[in-house]
Amino acid sequence: MQLPLNEIALFMTDFLALFGVYLIVTISLNIQRGLAGIPQFGLMFAIAGGAYITGNMATRIAVWILGIKTDLDPVIDCTAVLSMVNPMLNTQPMTSFILILIYLAIGATFGAVLGLIQVAPAIRLREDYLAITLLAFAEIINVIATAYKPLLGGAFGVQVPSVYGWAGGYRYGVATLAILVIAAISYLYAEYLERTPLGRTLKAIRENEVAAASLGKSLVKYRAIAIVIGSALCGMAGTLWTLYGEYVTPTYTRFYWTFLPWLMVLLGGIGSNRGALLGTAIFVALDKLIIYYKHSFEAFLPFDVVWLDYILLGIITAIILIYRPQGLLPERPYIPKDIRKRIEEKIKQF
Amino acid sequence: MEIISLGTLISALTWSSILSLMAIGITLLYRTTKVPNFAHASFVTTGVYSATIVSLMGFHPYLGMFLGFILGGLEGLVLFYAILEPLRRRRSSIFILMIATLSYDILLYGLLNVLADDLQTTYKILARMIYYSRLDFSIGGVPGVAVISLLALITTVILLYILLNRTTLGVALRACMENTALAQTLGINVSLMLLFSWFIAGGIAGVAGALLPFYTMCGPYIGMLYIAEMFCASILGGLDQIYGAPLGGFLIGFAKVALISVLASFVGPWITEYAPIIPLAAMAVALVLVPKGLVAIKIRRG
Repeated sequence: MQLPLNEIALFMTDFLALFGVYLIVTISLNIQRGLAGIPQFGLMFAIAGGAYITGNMATRIAVWILGIKTDLDPVIDCTAVLSMVNPMLNTQPMTSFILILIYLAIGATFGAVLGLIQVAPAIRLREDYLAITLLAFAEIINVIATAYKPLLGGAFGVQVPSVYGWAGGYRYGVATLAILVIAAISYLYAEYLERTPLGRTLKAIRENEVAAASLGKSLVKYRAIAIVIGSALCGMAGTLWTLYGEYVTPTYTRFYWTFLPWLMVLLGGIGSNRGALLGTAIFVALDKLIIYYKHSFEAFLPFDVVWLDYILLGIITAIILIYRPQGLLPERPYIPKDIRKRIEEKIKQF
Repeated sequence: MEIISLGTLISALTWSSILSLMAIGITLLYRTTKVPNFAHASFVTTGVYSATIVSLMGFHPYLGMFLGFILGGLEGLVLFYAILEPLRRRRSSIFILMIATLSYDILLYGLLNVLADDLQTTYKILARMIYYSRLDFSIGGVPGVAVISLLALITTVILLYILLNRTTLGVALRACMENTALAQTLGINVSLMLLFSWFIAGGIAGVAGALLPFYTMCGPYIGMLYIAEMFCASILGGLDQIYGAPLGGFLIGFAKVALISVLASFVGPWITEYAPIIPLAAMAVALVLVPKGLVAIKIRRG
């Protein structure tokens, strides 16, 4: 049988792009929950925030940087404005690159601000109150995005400039590459963060709030730091996903952008970045395969396959929680090199 | 021009009663099992579809309250017995229990959507837009749902009071709330008591859900839409106080429906689209000022 190469390449770019975006989100969750112990049940808030602010600002900024003179509103009349912006961007890879960096900065900043707003009312409280507050605040973002028309043009969403358009037929490949680069940077950063004094402090607070506080570590300050770092990453994920699809609607749901990342981290092992990587790969592959073979399922299922997704994932989570709560690749204690050497010397002495 | 119409007040009263019914369950479960139950959303939606099923069988959808109580209760039972009890036996943290309720919610959401699809193809009804306002009766211009939901709330509170204070079962249940270990040494079967509380709480959520289609358009998403508000009501009243839930429910219900319509008459009708922000704002203020809830405020004397 001859393999349809084009189809495989398309499947792979699609898979890698989604994988990269989810990896950024799971890394963010690992920093917030894995390191700092914050039960972040409102991941969707910062992700959707990053996506929506990109939808709102992207065309405006592109118009400004390219020096286009127009009276049209960049959100409400986005198609008309973009018909002027996109041909110019297609011939200017350098400008497109700068624009991507600007969008990422905006997404990260806005995400971080949203994260702070989200956690502010409950930052001092116990983890159950914290979880409820984070979840409740996240539910509100779509209400605002749908009601406030100037943000995203209401329920129908808004188009954003085609910043990868200069790559022609390879535009999805380039977009995927950009996502993967940011994902790799996030991964390395998380690995680095674990080994810094900040990372150790966060872990100390996670393990025992009272003991950490008695050593002068402020719970509020370090929770805020973890939320800001994590939400900034989430905001960037939202921005990247919007730029990849060149379109955004106020339809980020709790299932896809809070529950699924949680499931990935749980399967991999909370607190372990390798685990997050593995869990993300498994779930995105499953998701893509289900979508790919959707039509073969539809023949013998009397309902939409999407709901089967929900049912199965609900059951899988419960099984993981009961039978393997530490995940596939559990967190390993990290011991710095010099301390390890000292321990070995002590062992030799005896 | 009057600032607030009678219709708005009645609507606020209806919503407050339904919201209080939803919040009571959350508070009760928090008291017994110490876990915020995120699956409450789907328990409520189950109530909505109980009303639909009952009306398809040819009865008045109000009778769906009874089916809703049983189905919601059973869902609570399954959640506790199949997922939470094994986790509790492994001494899992509260945080693991919270994810477990979240995952059960996702599972039920999938099942309810399958049910809605099935009802749509089998009975040719709009199973994603359930609205029974036209089937409602009215007493002197007041829609029946206002009366029924208030009655349901009052009945629930009275029955809950009798159960908890006048029966051996209730006293045992309260003992489990106060001190689980001590209750166990006294020979109370703690897991059976917790199981019972999950049945009651799920049942009350089902009743609230069955009333919901008389008040607003419902679909499988309806529980998820209101879950934030349920928690706001529950926290505002105080997660540790069962009778705080109706207080929180009424404050948030009236703020959301009545206050927003007063605001709309001043600044314009566009503001009503932002009504869902009010409960959150109330919760944020309550968490900062009185994290233990309104019921915990003691009036200083002298």
